[in-house]
Amino acid sequence: MGFLAPLMLAGLAALAVPIGIHLIGRQRAKVVKFAALDFLLATKRRTARRLRLRERLLLIVRVVACLAVVLALAKPFTSCERKGPQVTRGPQAVVLVIDDSFASGYLVDDKPWLSRATTETRRILQQLGPEAEVAIVRTTEGADHPTELTRDHLRLRDQLIALEPSSRPADTTRALARAAQLLAASSHARKTVYLVSLLARSGIRPDDPPWGKDGPSFVTLDLRPQQMPNVAVTGLRVQAGPGAGTRGLAFDAEVANFSDAPAKLELSLSIADRVVARGLLDLAPNERRSKRFLASLPAGARASDASVSITGDALAVDDRRWVRASLRDEVRVLLVDGDPRTVRHDDELFYVEAALRPGDREDSGTQVRSITSEELSGIDPKAKGTANAIELENFDVIVLANVPAQSAERVNVIAQWVRAGGGILVAPGDQVDPAAYDRTMLPLMPQSLRDPIDTTWGAQPDDKDSRALRLVKWEADHPIFTPFSKSAPELADAKYFKISLLGPTTATADRKVLARFTNGAAAMVEGSIGSGRTILYTSTLDRDWNDLPIHPGFLPLMQQAMRHLARKHALFGETTHVVGSSVALPSGDLKKLEVRGPDGLGAAFEGDRLVGRSTVRFGRTDRPGIYKVTGTDQTGATHERDELGFVVNLDPHGSDLTPATAAELPASGTGSATTPADDSRRIELWHALAAALLLLLLAEGLLVQR
Amino acid sequence: MPTLPERIDPTQLARLGNLPIKARVIVQGALSGMHRASLHGSSVEFAEHKEYSPGDEMRHIDWKAYAKVDRYYVKRYEHESQLTIYLVLDGSASMAFAGDGISKIEYAGLTLAALAYLAIQQQDKVGLVATGDRAIETSVPPRARSTHLHDLLAVLDSVMVRGGKGDESPAAALRRIAELTRRKRALIVVASDLFDAEDETLAMLAQLRAQRHDVSVLHVLDPHETTFPYDGLTQFEALESTNKMLVNPIAIKRDYLARMDAFLTKCRGTLAAGGVDYHFTTTDRPLEETLLQLLIARTRLGPVRRVG
Repeated sequence: MGFLAPLMLAGLAALAVPIGIHLIGRQRAKVVKFAALDFLLATKRRTARRLRLRERLLLIVRVVACLAVVLALAKPFTSCERKGPQVTRGPQAVVLVIDDSFASGYLVDDKPWLSRATTETRRILQQLGPEAEVAIVRTTEGADHPTELTRDHLRLRDQLIALEPSSRPADTTRALARAAQLLAASSHARKTVYLVSLLARSGIRPDDPPWGKDGPSFVTLDLRPQQMPNVAVTGLRVQAGPGAGTRGLAFDAEVANFSDAPAKLELSLSIADRVVARGLLDLAPNERRSKRFLASLPAGARASDASVSITGDALAVDDRRWVRASLRDEVRVLLVDGDPRTVRHDDELFYVEAALRPGDREDSGTQVRSITSEELSGIDPKAKGTANAIELENFDVIVLANVPAQSAERVNVIAQWVRAGGGILVAPGDQVDPAAYDRTMLPLMPQSLRDPIDTTWGAQPDDKDSRALRLVKWEADHPIFTPFSKSAPELADAKYFKISLLGPTTATADRKVLARFTNGAAAMVEGSIGSGRTILYTSTLDRDWNDLPIHPGFLPLMQQAMRHLARKHALFGETTHVVGSSVALPSGDLKKLEVRGPDGLGAAFEGDRLVGRSTVRFGRTDRPGIYKVTGTDQTGATHERDELGFVVNLDPHGSDLTPATAAELPASGTGSATTPADDSRRIELWHALAAALLLLLLAEGLLVQR
Repeated sequence: MPTLPERIDPTQLARLGNLPIKARVIVQGALSGMHRASLHGSSVEFAEHKEYSPGDEMRHIDWKAYAKVDRYYVKRYEHESQLTIYLVLDGSASMAFAGDGISKIEYAGLTLAALAYLAIQQQDKVGLVATGDRAIETSVPPRARSTHLHDLLAVLDSVMVRGGKGDESPAAALRRIAELTRRKRALIVVASDLFDAEDETLAMLAQLRAQRHDVSVLHVLDPHETTFPYDGLTQFEALESTNKMLVNPIAIKRDYLARMDAFLTKCRGTLAAGGVDYHFTTTDRPLEETLLQLLIARTRLGPVRRVG
């Protein structure tokens, strides 16, 4: 502690004044000889102690009051370590970047960390002064960012007050980049970014700095508690669990311990809001382990919502994870190989079979039977009853892969089966003669085939890739393409060297080109035949004409195509939707489709938003949990569509609260004129002394009155 | 109650000459305007009329009354024998206290002197006992001679001049009076502040009354003792002991007054319960008023009254 005016301390001699008055006052007392002293003595016995106490209190109060006056005049001050950053007042450009990711709901002293963060941010905003142009940027992944700085501090303050933890992880680097953009547009010389964040490493990409060397001044506020242990359910998969009976399912919950201390957890599995199993799990520090639960769905239910939760910790939002558990409807596929080979990977069906039954697993959801084109004769009526007979009723989809044109009679059998609800995928190849197809196969095709073109014909080996065609302009809303983004590289990177051109359309209904190549030629055409569907793919299903089968997009494309043709929707339980993602829902023949989220909010699709579309996209997946879908059919009846319901989970990488190191944080830029922060600050104490003096005078007055 | 033409300030009275003159002034002041005093001498006095009934002596029929109202009335007479009066003056040190006026002992002494003057005038026997200091206790036996008055007043004057001393209560003196007057009724007048820690005086007064004596108590206090008008830091020193007390009087005034009030209530209640004639006065009250209060009370109570 120091004094700004130490000479004033000489006034401490004034402390002798009240003491002197006290002592002199005792000596100056009048002397009265009094007869009734016994009465006084009796009175005094009760009050003497009180009077003595009062006298001493008075003396103390007066001495302390004199002391307070002297000290206040000497202007004492003390220094303390600066807790927050030094905030300079005046004209400047400032962006306050605040962490509102779901991790900001971490409870510190029973209050969300975000409340501390907003309080501190409001303090900075207040200290900046009205001349500062400020913007608030949230670090939540996908958050809307402001477009300009503003001096409307009241509005910014209201924004801060209204801020609540989101359900998405932090993308601090992107938020900082946006802050740098906002500041770059400002004409102020002084530009500062204040980062109020948990500084979790998961939200920071050190290899993608938000600004260069001439970036703004960067100040971080470390409001992070010393320890932030967190345990989260980071994954939940469901698959068939024969061990739990015919309706059995196996739930594999992945739990991660993001702390340096071991964790002993109790897990519970709930199906349809009822806890059906519990388990214990010991996790070592920073360990990630799986726990399997076997359970069966309630009687009569084909699908249900399930969740696995762990005992609550300071960040409760990531302690539960949902999954849509469905008893799988398997798609039965008849693969017809038009070009069988003895070398396995040269076979026409090698890649399709691998895509439909990856790893040849029982739980792939697809039953596959492969036959040659010759064996297709088993579907003929005359083959009935023979060992070669093939009952088409046992299949949902037929894939004709490079199959030569079949007889009209056989095509008729297949066409009837398609009209009854079957699905067929036709892919050409070197065994396909377009003219022969025109003669007999048109009932199965949405469009007739023409001769193929070889884009690499005559090209030098080095030019082949550059002359190859690529897939573009696919119907992103179509169920086949729902797993893919609009620019999905897993599809777009595939090279097509040879494709079949298409001729006139056929009598199929609802014909639609689902995808095109870069030259505009159709890559995939869909049509309806009665209750069934047909898709014509204009290249091969093996690597003879393209290299799509070795691209990651081939597997989901084939699986989605089979399910679409079989009119069996994808198992939503297997689809991982994270908060903020867009979910495609097949519209079917519904007149109205309504989606309602766990917070009761949702969206309704009807009219132009639904009619004529094969799928609708629901994007308001702001909260984790179960999203229910209700549909109104053409008759006006409204039912809950269990098969369309889906679940949304947190992006688990936001649960890792491991702090970023200083080296991982962006460096403060040089493009600002701020002075370096002082680590200590001076606190003047005379205000407190003046207040104490007032209280002392008040106390002295009260004591004198008594 | 008769009205006084003019009141005599006790302080001014104290400045007058010797005690006999003061006593006479007080008595004259008290008696002016009064028809008769109630402390009678030895005589047969008319008391009241009573309607005649068979058995009454004929000689007592008031014929003048018969002439006026045409009914027989018998005159009744009050016969008082010679009265023995003991005047007890509390001469303890506490009686020396004087606020702004005269001390309590002077006030009490003047009042008793007036009573003695009045009694001797009526040929009653008057004695004096001054208490306070056991070593020099003063006692004057009761006599009815007129020269006795001078002796008694001389002793009383010396006690007043000496001032209060000692801490003995009047109880011991009263006990001796009780022994002396075992067979004869007497009027015992005690002038004291009754500051008796053990309440012996009150008990002894009640005992005297129980022995069928007429007992009157003149409770004398200084106005400063009843109002406690002090302020500022004050050191109070006891008169009967070495006790001292430094205190802010304002802080304890309420408590003190409450205790004083309780003390007066106790005195009044205890003595009234014992049949003792109690008179409270303060030293700023005119002496003749106090004397009259005593006399009127004696008249009302009818001391040693015999109706013949």
